[in-house]
Amino acid sequence: MEQKFNSTLFKMDSKEVILLKKALERQKLARIQAEKILESKSKELYDTARHLKSANSKLEGLLNKEHSSLGDSFMDIVDPYVIMDMDYNVITMNNSAIDFLGYDHRKERLNVGKLVHKDYIPYTLQAFQSLKDVGTLKNYRAKIVVKGNRHKYIQINCSLIYDTEGKPIGSHGIMRDISQETEIKHLLSEQKKQLHVIFDNSPLGIALAVDGKITKANPSFVNLLGYTENELRKFSIEDVSTCYAKEECDELMRQLDQGEDTVSVTKEYIKKNGDTFLAKTNISAVRDENGQIESQVIVIEDITKEKELEHQKEELLSELESSNKNLQEYAHIVSHDLKSPLRSISALASWIIEDYHDKLDEAGQQQLSLMQEKVAAMDKLIQGILEYSTANSSQLKSSEVDLNEIVETIKETIFIPDHVSVKVPEVLPCIQADRTKMQQLFQNIIGNAVAHIEREVGLVEVLFKDKKEHHHFIIKDNGVGIPEEYHKKIFQIFQSIGNKERSTGIGLSIVKKIVDRYEGEVWVESEMGLGTEFHFTLKKSVLTGQAKTQI
Amino acid sequence: MNILFIEDDLIETMKFKRTIGKLQTQHKITEAKNGEEALQVLGSDDQLPDIILLDLNMPRMSGIEFLKILKADERFKYLPTIMLTTSENRADLLECYRIGIAGYILKPLKYEDYEEKLTKVIQYWEVSELVKA
Repeated sequence: MEQKFNSTLFKMDSKEVILLKKALERQKLARIQAEKILESKSKELYDTARHLKSANSKLEGLLNKEHSSLGDSFMDIVDPYVIMDMDYNVITMNNSAIDFLGYDHRKERLNVGKLVHKDYIPYTLQAFQSLKDVGTLKNYRAKIVVKGNRHKYIQINCSLIYDTEGKPIGSHGIMRDISQETEIKHLLSEQKKQLHVIFDNSPLGIALAVDGKITKANPSFVNLLGYTENELRKFSIEDVSTCYAKEECDELMRQLDQGEDTVSVTKEYIKKNGDTFLAKTNISAVRDENGQIESQVIVIEDITKEKELEHQKEELLSELESSNKNLQEYAHIVSHDLKSPLRSISALASWIIEDYHDKLDEAGQQQLSLMQEKVAAMDKLIQGILEYSTANSSQLKSSEVDLNEIVETIKETIFIPDHVSVKVPEVLPCIQADRTKMQQLFQNIIGNAVAHIEREVGLVEVLFKDKKEHHHFIIKDNGVGIPEEYHKKIFQIFQSIGNKERSTGIGLSIVKKIVDRYEGEVWVESEMGLGTEFHFTLKKSVLTGQAKTQI
Repeated sequence: MNILFIEDDLIETMKFKRTIGKLQTQHKITEAKNGEEALQVLGSDDQLPDIILLDLNMPRMSGIEFLKILKADERFKYLPTIMLTTSENRADLLECYRIGIAGYILKPLKYEDYEEKLTKVIQYWEVSELVKA
């Protein structure tokens, strides 16, 4: 090209050549210039790139700084705040968290996952996964075990922290202690459960009423009335019940309206089948903040049976009272009729002694005075029986009774055949008791014993054993014995098994009644042909108790 | 004194008369076997008795029934009436005092005791001022 150019140059005049040469020269210069510009431009570009890079890293730092300054402001909040790495190791946390958890991350490694109570581990793993997936975790609730093995319920809101490239590098979260809240909730649900159990299983009928209408009724209430719960919802309490005592009932309902919390009335309820029953009814008002009745709780208890029993009891009592009164009157008449002839006999006997003094020898006078003694003993006995027959309405008397003396008196009072002797081998005690009752008690048993001895030498012994709670007496004879089938029967009134004329069949039944009053027992041990042992006990505490009431 | 003695039992009457017979002073005893007879006596006689001794337990008309009639009568109600009985019945005793009696004597078992008690009763009324119709 230069060759060609040169050859053309040759053809061109020298002026032209010079011009061309100058142009070429300029071109060369321009190229260098351009190269220079390019060079500086690319340097400029490089510098800019470098500059940008550093700016970028500056920005990243800024971001991080912003994160940490964000952290700082969290560090000051009241609630526990924790920053963790991706394995939930605590990187830092605020004082509140240190206080709450009881651990200090600056002194020991702390992994939040390890604090979770074992019951909440599956839930926690799920929650951690969702945090990774979504980036935030809201309203995580679990039980954790903090220092000192204390259990706490917490609620956590947390989110992930990312680096500049959007890669998660950790998480931070705010904790809230909800232990109290949770416990209250637990307690409430427990109580609710318990209330339900009571409501469902109570033998009392329970119903709730709002604006007078029944809204809820428990099984007992349903059973009592015979309506289903749904049927009951159509009614008010007043539809299925009437007041037992109208005025009292109205007054109580007024009181309820006026602010009384609970009233108790007896109402008559009408069952679905038309039957009625009486029930004690408690109505309690549940009020809102303004004191307006929100609902009523009605508790009913069927007292029909109680009322019936009460009625029966009253009837029985009045019957008993009148029969007691009759018995008392009867006893007085009988005792008068028995005592009057005794007085006559006594008077006549003393007149014989007085009037025929000189015609009677000593034996005759003695016989008359013996007669007087027997008359006196009989008078006493009549008095005793009178007192006994009225004993149910009269108190037992109590005084110091020497039982040895009692037995001696009995030996003088009752008829003892010559071949029989009554012995007291060991001294009997003195006890606090009703003298007449003791006399009757021993006399009836001893009298019974001496009357039934057929062998040549009869022996009746009065024995005593001191038991812990009872005085135990045994009247032992060597008489004919009592067949076992009669061992119970003989204590029933008018049940005499002997064919003796003087046996009235009352004596041993009196024994039983007296022993009953002293809370003792009476029984018979007997072998036919060998003899009989009458056992009876008297309770010490009753004897002394009687003595105390006497004072 | 004029004593109206109302008693159905023969021996009781004997006891009373024997007791009175032993006393120093003389007394006129009018006997009646029951309440009805006593009312007849009271009605027929011009002179009323000074005191009445009355057995509580009598057939037909009881002592209390008789006492009620007596105390309801304008003339007889002033007569001091003393009850005699073997029955220690508190209800009877209270009823008698309620209606109005001048004494309530329990007949003791022994004649000697009876004599002693009745003597005292008579002696008391001997020293007491009487209504005297």
